[in-house]
Amino acid sequence: MLKIDDLHVTVGGARVLNGLTLEVPQGEVHAIMGPNGSGKSTLAYVLAGRPGYEVTRGSVTYDGRDLLALPPEERARHGVFLGFQYPVEIPGVNNVYLLKAALNAVRKERNQPEVDAFEFLALVREKMRLMRMEESFLSRGVNEGFSGGEKKRNEILQMLVLEPRLAILDETDSGLDIDALKIVAEGVNSLRARERSFVLVTHYQRLLEHVVPDRVHVLVRGRIVKSGDRSLALELERRGYDWLAAEAA
Amino acid sequence: MSGDLTQRIAQEHAVAAESLPSAVVAHARRRRAIDALVARGLPTTRDENWRYASLRPLERVRFAPVQGNLNLTQGSLPSAIRGYAPIPGYTRYVFADGRLAAGASGPAAPQAGVTVHAPSRTAATLPSLAPLDRGSEPEGAFELLNEAFAVDSAEIEVASPAGVAPEPIGLEVVFIASASAQQGASYPRLRVTVAPRCQLRLVERHVSLGDEASFVDSMVDVQMHDGASIDHYRVQQLGARATWMDTLSATVGRSATYRLHSIGLGAQAARSTVRVHLRGEGAELALHAVAAGDRQQVLDQYAVVDHAAPHTRTEESFRGIAAGRSRVAFNGKIIVRPGAQGADSNQSLRGLLAGADAEIDVRPQLEIYTDDVRCSHGATAGKLDETMLFYLLSRGLDRDMAQRLLKWAFLEDVVSRIAVVELRTQIEQSLAGQIEELDALKELLHGRPST
Ligand SMILES: Nc1ncnc2c1ncn2[C@@H]1O[C@H](COP(=O)(O)OP(=O)(O)OP(=O)(O)O)[C@@H](O)[C@H]1O
Ligand SMILES: [Mg+2]
Repeated sequence: MLKIDDLHVTVGGARVLNGLTLEVPQGEVHAIMGPNGSGKSTLAYVLAGRPGYEVTRGSVTYDGRDLLALPPEERARHGVFLGFQYPVEIPGVNNVYLLKAALNAVRKERNQPEVDAFEFLALVREKMRLMRMEESFLSRGVNEGFSGGEKKRNEILQMLVLEPRLAILDETDSGLDIDALKIVAEGVNSLRARERSFVLVTHYQRLLEHVVPDRVHVLVRGRIVKSGDRSLALELERRGYDWLAAEAA
Repeated sequence: MSGDLTQRIAQEHAVAAESLPSAVVAHARRRRAIDALVARGLPTTRDENWRYASLRPLERVRFAPVQGNLNLTQGSLPSAIRGYAPIPGYTRYVFADGRLAAGASGPAAPQAGVTVHAPSRTAATLPSLAPLDRGSEPEGAFELLNEAFAVDSAEIEVASPAGVAPEPIGLEVVFIASASAQQGASYPRLRVTVAPRCQLRLVERHVSLGDEASFVDSMVDVQMHDGASIDHYRVQQLGARATWMDTLSATVGRSATYRLHSIGLGAQAARSTVRVHLRGEGAELALHAVAAGDRQQVLDQYAVVDHAAPHTRTEESFRGIAAGRSRVAFNGKIIVRPGAQGADSNQSLRGLLAGADAEIDVRPQLEIYTDDVRCSHGATAGKLDETMLFYLLSRGLDRDMAQRLLKWAFLEDVVSRIAVVELRTQIEQSLAGQIEELDALKELLHGRPST
């Protein structure tokens, strides 16, 4: 599904990713952990196509196609979804109708007709119940005035409605209270499927108790320095990153 | 150069003087205006508050008023207003090249409590009005020009009939420009007085018939007595070749509230000077301005608010977009006089640069002569927010749509304050350009699906 090979990325003059190689097969959930500033969000942004990230070497293949050649909106339409570490507030743009426009963009790509307004609302309501979000979020501006945790839930709501094929969730668990974490985890689990892959960027192994990953990778200074099964996350929680950084140096 | 121009204006005035109606402005007063204009000269872009204005078109203007009377009917109204019936509850007055066009105005009788008077008509058509005490004569160059040449005037007085509780009055005044500047100028003139505790809702529009390069010099005078309130919507949608010079002066009495919405969309070159005098204790102004420039348009606005009494308040917001090669400017000056303690003002001025060769300038200015005041301001000018744009793209919206959406959202907090739904819809349609797109945009913006 996703194949990243020897990826080198420079942003704002800084070399942030230095030969990152990673493969996420279809249907799997991979967690990426690593110290602050190691390049996790950079990786997420590069996959989503954010401008300003210069790929100096390497490749990214998604579904056999050169992902880096696509503009961000086409990546989204082909099923790539980024849950932002810091979801963006867009006052004046309505939350639910952005969702509708996003869904219609995906459907258009799949040669499906525009979603029926009635069905759409029913769908959104159902997903909002799952996210324990109040109806009032329907009418508000995109993330406008949402609390940190509400923004994260809104990201997951979008993911649930859009049903991406590759979901990259950048620290969606940060800033969530314990109940919200469970809700978000349930949301992710409800989408787990054979044809869908996840990349979960997280600092906490707690999320991984609820969303059990197939693989855990450690990103240090722009490279994957260690991969393992979920027990690696527990080990990181115990030992921190220093031993790995030393190993990598 | 400016001197040559004022000389020519004076000559044109001398020729036309005889034919200018003294019922609109007395001859002596016209002459004083011309003398004052010659003495002070026209502004140039070297003048402090005129740097962004486009004054070049003045060279080619014939300043004498357009001759003749356009025979306007409802059917011949410009597309900017045709198809829109007068707003329910509003009486519409149409002026063509500065003269009342009764045939296009209506419904005939305005509500009780309002007197509308156009001196060009006989008193039989419209009831005459007792002379108003309007204080000082105008001082700005373009006000003087209007004073010297105006051929008609919309004189509005709102008062509550004795013993009747004041009810809000709704009026729509449409000024249409049709002639080219070589044929003559158009001098819209609007004078409003609102009696104590009376309320007025006023829609004032400036539009073109055809696409001549008209010269329009409008003058608006607003007098608000104690406790009066006005919702004033000013919409400038002149044709793409028109030049608009505009001056609005308002005096706001004790505990009176003036809500002024100014929407600038049209004209090749538009300059509006707004002077609001908060004269009585507790007088309030809310000024919400929107300007959307494209192509080579120049849209320049200068607003001076004078806090001359205690506990006066100003809330000012501006949202301007400069696309294409346009130039959009808003200069907002707040003065707090000695003795205006407890004055409170807030300015939020934002400009959006939407074209590589466009220019935008927003400038808050404060002049404070007393201690106990609260004045805050925020001013930003920049491009579309890249983070917002990327967020929308990452959700699959196409770039064009995402950009338009963000421009809309940018204007939205000011446009949404237009409380007259019919007018807001028209403005939104003009801003969106295309109606099919508008429906999609509207859904995204307001979450109110099109019906
Ligand atoms: N625009 C930029 N200009 C310069 N440096 C940048 C820019 N963006 C990111 N960086 C740097 O790249 C490095 C990686 O940043 P990134 O956001 O990917 O880290 P992260 O692993 O997500 O960290 P965190 O766990 O704190 O979210 C950091 O050192 C950061 O300062
Ligand atoms: Mg990060």
